[in-house]
Amino acid sequence: MAAVTTSTGFDEATLRRLLERGGAPDGVRERAFEQFQAMPMPSPETEEWRYTDLRDFDLSSFLPSAEEPFAENLDGVAPELLEAAGEIGERSGLSIQHNSTLVTAHLDPEARARGVTFTSLDDAVTTHPDLLEERLHHAVPTVRTRFTAMHGAFRTGGTFVHVPAGVDVRFPLQALTYVDADALAVFPHTLVVLEEGSSLTFIDRYVSPDLERVFSNAVVELFAGPGSRLRYVALQEWGSGVTHLSVQRAHVERDAEVRSLAVAFGASLARSEAETILLGDGGSSEMLGVYFGRSDQHFDHRSIQDHVGSRTSSDLLYKGALRGQARAIYSGNVIIRQGAHQCDAYQTNRNILLSERAKADSIPNLEILSNDPVRCGHAASVGPVDEDTLFYIRSRGIPEAEAQRLVVTGFFQEVLDRVTLQEVRGSLEATIATELEREASERLSGRGAEAHAV
Amino acid sequence: MEQMQTVRESVKRTETAALEISGLRARVEGKEILKGIDLVVRQGEVHALMGPNGSGKSTLANVLMGRPGYELTAGQVLFRGQDITGLSADRRAQLGLFLAFQYPTEIPGVSVVNFLRSAYNAVKSEQISALAFRKRLKEKMNMLGVEDAMVNRYVNQGFSGGEKKKNEVLQLAVLEPEIAILDETDSGLDIDSLKAVATGIQQLIGPNLGVLLITHYQRMLNYITPDHIHVMMDGRIVSSGGPELAHELEKKGYEGLRKELGEG
Repeated sequence: MAAVTTSTGFDEATLRRLLERGGAPDGVRERAFEQFQAMPMPSPETEEWRYTDLRDFDLSSFLPSAEEPFAENLDGVAPELLEAAGEIGERSGLSIQHNSTLVTAHLDPEARARGVTFTSLDDAVTTHPDLLEERLHHAVPTVRTRFTAMHGAFRTGGTFVHVPAGVDVRFPLQALTYVDADALAVFPHTLVVLEEGSSLTFIDRYVSPDLERVFSNAVVELFAGPGSRLRYVALQEWGSGVTHLSVQRAHVERDAEVRSLAVAFGASLARSEAETILLGDGGSSEMLGVYFGRSDQHFDHRSIQDHVGSRTSSDLLYKGALRGQARAIYSGNVIIRQGAHQCDAYQTNRNILLSERAKADSIPNLEILSNDPVRCGHAASVGPVDEDTLFYIRSRGIPEAEAQRLVVTGFFQEVLDRVTLQEVRGSLEATIATELEREASERLSGRGAEAHAV
Repeated sequence: MEQMQTVRESVKRTETAALEISGLRARVEGKEILKGIDLVVRQGEVHALMGPNGSGKSTLANVLMGRPGYELTAGQVLFRGQDITGLSADRRAQLGLFLAFQYPTEIPGVSVVNFLRSAYNAVKSEQISALAFRKRLKEKMNMLGVEDAMVNRYVNQGFSGGEKKKNEVLQLAVLEPEIAILDETDSGLDIDSLKAVATGIQQLIGPNLGVLLITHYQRMLNYITPDHIHVMMDGRIVSSGGPELAHELEKKGYEGLRKELGEG
């Protein structure tokens, strides 16, 4: 299915091939490649990488690209890809990246007429160089880590959105990244630019079948201009075998509002950094997170709520459930900079453990450098389903598995209540229900085996 | 053997259900709290179990419902003639036993109506539709004076003391058990809430419901007249009698009764 690439490895030959192909502003790939070669793999001796040790992660075992043919429109897209895009409500646009190629980007003509740009990042480099300037790799610089440098050097595809001042995009735009080529490294990149007073909802969805090994090295850069409103949703539904490293950073200007939702159900290992920097006065940020781990999945979530502007507010709520031997780490930091007056910041992470072998760590942190009255709070918890709650529910005749299902569904409800997109909420509810059904049936069969052994 | 039990169970269902407790001893965290309890509560009867704090009343309630961590060391509990001591709480509830909690637990994210519908389906072995259930629930709410807003909220989350107890009585009304243990349903209530909750319970009492009303105070008995009163002290029932025992207790207090019994 995927075209065979002539070069393998992340070396100069591949870099030269990509330079001929284009898709990045002058000098970006070369500079990033130098950084990539110079930087070491992140060490677990640093606080940032303490919980995810990738020293033995062999980058040379991945293919740098698998190009797919472009599609004129959605009719030219393979049905399994459209199916993977999931239930799609009303959309103002849909883009599909298949392996290394953004094969199609469809934008509603009405939105196009109002000046909205929705295109592959490869194309935007030639069609909208002015809009990329000071933005591409500026929220997440390539020099950040060896992985972001690698991303800068070898990225293909990606999605670019630009909404002109004052334009409200009526329905969400959605980008699907679909991978079905084993041993591939992909570099999903989403760059969203909202000019003053505009508004947009954007959904990124990462999907694959279960694979041997795939490396997803993703970057999301969000620029919310003054008074703009952005909702950003990332649905990480990779199959098993995928290692997903993502860095998402939002720049929030004066009176702008960015509300994000990070969902992690898939991948074998997923490390997601989500950061919001509230630059202008009066900006606000909401960051929601939902994760449900099973078997030996490893989730490492890191967040930063950085308050630079005065009267800025941020609220983070990440909730996760873990079964099997799944492992989750949440580490978050709230920073109130010197000179940022009257800020509000909250940070909450709660984990529910459905098996004795599941493990979670939660590390919230506040860094208050401002001496002006601020309201700051954080809370974290890790634990099994509360025994008293279970007994209360069971005393009403509800059997254990059903009681557990009620508690966990209710646990996520607090986040789901804040998810306004109906189809996203519906799909989350369905996935959570499926996970809980599997958990219940595994528990039953496990018990059956035990009973048999006795 | 199994078959015989099924037959016996089906026979019992047509008879008056009874909760028969005999020689019951139980430990919590290694400490013996119940030191031999004998008590029979039949459908249609109202028993008040009174006693000072720490006498073991709530322990008895929890043991009867099968709360984990309460270790039964002797005696048995029959319900509908079946020994239920080895059964889980959900099985006991499905057989027709109910416990109104002294401290009802919050269930974040689960609305009262959804919770009650799951419970209803479990105890009635039905799959009632959301709409049909709403209608049933509405009847009980009207009877008990429960507002619509309450059942749409998450179970006990942010509820006042009165709302929590009202919610327990609503669950009792909807689930229609044969025997209900009400564990200090009057505690933590102001006088208006007490009246509302007690009136609700009063309406549910009838030939189909047997009640074990656990209370520390006499005040609940201003609204509900029990057929039998038992006084519990130090893990034993020390005195049983008719409604007059409550008045006697009020005059003498638990200390007075203790002295009298000690002397006698």
